[in-house]
Amino acid sequence: MKKTLTILFALALVLAASGFAQVQKPSELKFVPLRYDPPDPKAFRTEFAGGLRGFVQEDRGLPLFNISATVNFGGLYLPKDKQGLDALMSSTFVRGGTKTREGTAIEERIDFLGGSLGFNVGDRTSTLSLSVLSKDIDEGLAIFFDVLMNPEFRDSALALAKPRLIQQLRSANDQPNGVLSREYEKLLYGDGPLTWRPTQKAYEAVTSADLKAVHAQYFFPKNIILVATGDFSKAALKAKIDKAVAGWKNKPVSFPAFAKNFPSPEPGVYFIQMPTNQGYINIGHLGLEDTNPDYYAVQVMNFILGGGSFTSRITTKVRSDEGLSYSQGSRFSYRWGFPGTFSGFVQTKSETVGFAISLILAEINRIRQDLVSDAEMETAINYYLESFPSSFESPQATMSTFANLEMTGRPMDYYKTFRDKISAVTKAKVLEVAKKYLQPEKMVLMIVGDWEPCNKGGDKWPGPLEKLGKVHRLTLADPLTGLTK
Amino acid sequence: MKRTLGLLLAVLALAALVGARQPQAAAGTISLDVKEHVLSNGLKILMLPRPGIPRVACYIYYKVGSINERPGITGIAHVHEHMMFKGTKTIGVTDFEKHAAIDRKIDELMGQIYREKYWKADGGDQAKIARLQKEVDALVASEKQYIVKDELWNLYMKNGGTGLNASTGNETTNYYVTLPSNKLELQMFLESDRMMNAYFREFYSEKDVVMEERRLSENQPGFFFREQVNAAFYAASPYHWEVLGWMDDLKKMTKADLVEFHNQFYVPNNCVVTYVGDFDPQKLIPMAEKYFGRVPRGPDVEPVRTYEPPQYSEKRMSGEGPAQTSLQIMFHAPPDGHPDAEALSVLAGVLGAGGGGRGFGQRGGRFGGGGSLGRLGKLLVEEKQIAVSAGASSRAQWYVGAFSFSASPRQDKNVQPEDLEKEIWAEIERLKKDGATADEIQKTKNRSEAMFIRGLTSNAGLAGRIGRAELTRGWRSILTDLEALRKVSNDDLKRVAAKYFVKDNSLTAIYRRKAGR
Repeated sequence: MKKTLTILFALALVLAASGFAQVQKPSELKFVPLRYDPPDPKAFRTEFAGGLRGFVQEDRGLPLFNISATVNFGGLYLPKDKQGLDALMSSTFVRGGTKTREGTAIEERIDFLGGSLGFNVGDRTSTLSLSVLSKDIDEGLAIFFDVLMNPEFRDSALALAKPRLIQQLRSANDQPNGVLSREYEKLLYGDGPLTWRPTQKAYEAVTSADLKAVHAQYFFPKNIILVATGDFSKAALKAKIDKAVAGWKNKPVSFPAFAKNFPSPEPGVYFIQMPTNQGYINIGHLGLEDTNPDYYAVQVMNFILGGGSFTSRITTKVRSDEGLSYSQGSRFSYRWGFPGTFSGFVQTKSETVGFAISLILAEINRIRQDLVSDAEMETAINYYLESFPSSFESPQATMSTFANLEMTGRPMDYYKTFRDKISAVTKAKVLEVAKKYLQPEKMVLMIVGDWEPCNKGGDKWPGPLEKLGKVHRLTLADPLTGLTK
Repeated sequence: MKRTLGLLLAVLALAALVGARQPQAAAGTISLDVKEHVLSNGLKILMLPRPGIPRVACYIYYKVGSINERPGITGIAHVHEHMMFKGTKTIGVTDFEKHAAIDRKIDELMGQIYREKYWKADGGDQAKIARLQKEVDALVASEKQYIVKDELWNLYMKNGGTGLNASTGNETTNYYVTLPSNKLELQMFLESDRMMNAYFREFYSEKDVVMEERRLSENQPGFFFREQVNAAFYAASPYHWEVLGWMDDLKKMTKADLVEFHNQFYVPNNCVVTYVGDFDPQKLIPMAEKYFGRVPRGPDVEPVRTYEPPQYSEKRMSGEGPAQTSLQIMFHAPPDGHPDAEALSVLAGVLGAGGGGRGFGQRGGRFGGGGSLGRLGKLLVEEKQIAVSAGASSRAQWYVGAFSFSASPRQDKNVQPEDLEKEIWAEIERLKKDGATADEIQKTKNRSEAMFIRGLTSNAGLAGRIGRAELTRGWRSILTDLEALRKVSNDDLKRVAAKYFVKDNSLTAIYRRKAGR
């Protein structure tokens, strides 16, 4: 398994550099070509007993062992009246113990070994991860599979987790950034699994039986993909895992169908009052799925608009030219099975909120009207091509990436073809996707900040904010009850 | 300039790292084969080749941070770090002389504006300021024709640079990027260029950016309280102010301050460059000689003068605002490298939380994690059920150290921070008397050792660690510290608890969520 990474790279490396005359400009630097072929997922894919799948890579450099199990189950699969079950599952999956082990004993032991064992429920997947020194592989595996297969969710663990999570709810409106991203999604996705939030009551209602029922429904070999890397022999590891999961039964499962009809919020300004000295701003609408063939062109387009840090237009204009902000740009977010969101974003002092927004809107309009420059294309495309090997710097991350491709049903040659697809993006295509996926007439402008000074504006952009569209003042719900006063 | 001493410092096998109770731990298979090379101008290069993905993490560390500032220019180390991205005499400009002529006029006018605005108690002659500002705006517009925007950033990005950034701390400032193996010459060109040819273009708008960065921090719940607690804890030493600096100083610092700061600290003899990744050191050295070797040596840099004097009195602070109710008890502790530092670190491990994930996520509910509770968590969260979290941390910095206990009370049971304070003091007294159990101590040591090994997986992380360590006690200290940690005994724990955990050495900070939030 060591011959995995086909790294064909010119040995000359920096040899050519030595002995050369001092260059005066970076453009005079000549680099020896470097060829890199990405690892092939097929070389790592393994099937264990019971149809349990995995991506496994030996990595003998350090005496470490990492293993994780990703399950096709997430918070979105829960009905409205079971919100909060996911967070409690995260908190008690390990702490709640197994049929034969107390949770605290598991944690103590893992800690004593200098390891870590954690569980996390996401939107559509859940992951149990273990990391131990490779000398502790056997003990680690025994605990890992016991926890994965036989969690007990003891009441004692629930009783400690609930007050902690409820106390966290009290902090839900403390952070302006947190409020902005939550309310922005709520506005764009409307009322549904993507935006439901737990309340105090919801947390209190979750029982150990609820958690066990969810575990029984979704946790079985064929619904799980393992990822393992570290200092072991692949054959020996496979034998150990096969033994650990022997007898673990598969079962039929059906996944909830998700509605994909989202509301079209009225364009305009949505303002949320907080006594901060800056406005926190998102501008945009829903985006696309990363399975869309336009994905690559959208990536390049957004890199030029506001995704490519200091090489991008929004950063140059808003930050570098005008000094209005520290953090600004644009992003397309992606999520499995749903369109993500597009947002132009900035945080700036209250009096320049309107000005900064006007500059971002101007950049969005500009990239929809004119072809981008050759230099911009060169920077964007070369960034993706030249930085490509960085996706594979960590074996653990590489294997997880492959597992993710398989879990979400995307093509396994995604990385093999990635550079060709990026290279194929043209200026005309960038313009086309800018027109298609940036729609100013549908955009909402959400601002979290202090109303008076934001609305007043400043010299370069005097208010009121109404100049940007109809103003809606939003009131936040009480996070404990979910009710709006 | 060819004194290639290519020090081959081989093998620091972690054989010894693994404790007596873990004799079978894959010893001997790990080494940190760091190669050193010192240029005649004093710049040191550390190289750790690791074959694999054809990329190299490049870190350049300067021994300068906010502790090298003084009242009036607090925050300048960080402002300067920003300015290092704004071009040089060769980068970021089409015609240096023409641009510089405009830039000098801008500085002169801004100098006049500052005299009005900041030297006069009444804020100066507003009409005059407006007139001068208008002139400045016109000049700023006319200088744009000569500016190549963010050229350095562009060059790194289009050559496949990732993780590109810089960061400023209390003690160090570093500039980093991970590049394809065939492009290290680009990093050498750009970094040596900005060391010797720095030119601070667009200074005034960039200061505005930094002020926005400070405001972002200010809007983090509890920031102002934390800033005041820190300032009260460090009365005399320059750790008194945050890296971000005070807003007044950000407003009033000048270009001349910046130039002086640069010339004092951005010299090759105050700098360490590290490379970790897939490269051949023998080919790197001549390149380093060529690029970094051209930078002239600067004057020696004097260490910081003001240490933190003994407190001799208890300090207490209270505040309220939009963040979780909490208690913190801080004690002055010895700095990095002091014989007691490792014992305090073990003590924090015994008291504090275990593995990651516990504590307070800002990301809403979907998050959990492993790791058993430390002694304080077991007592206050589990047994007595009066806290939602409780832990301790030990932070040994270059000139000062701090040991801190923190806890958040169960609001649903109406527990007060003062209740937790009593419990923590009772626990402190038990520590002084009995210390910790053998199991607690061994667990903490095992965890530190495993964490150390895990830390070796990332090239960028390792490049940063050896570079930073090199600036103070040498890169080998990351290994010798682990050796020292292994030797910590229970008697050491009792001794350091008794020595440092006393009222006259403490600051107690109580923060309450403002009613109705």
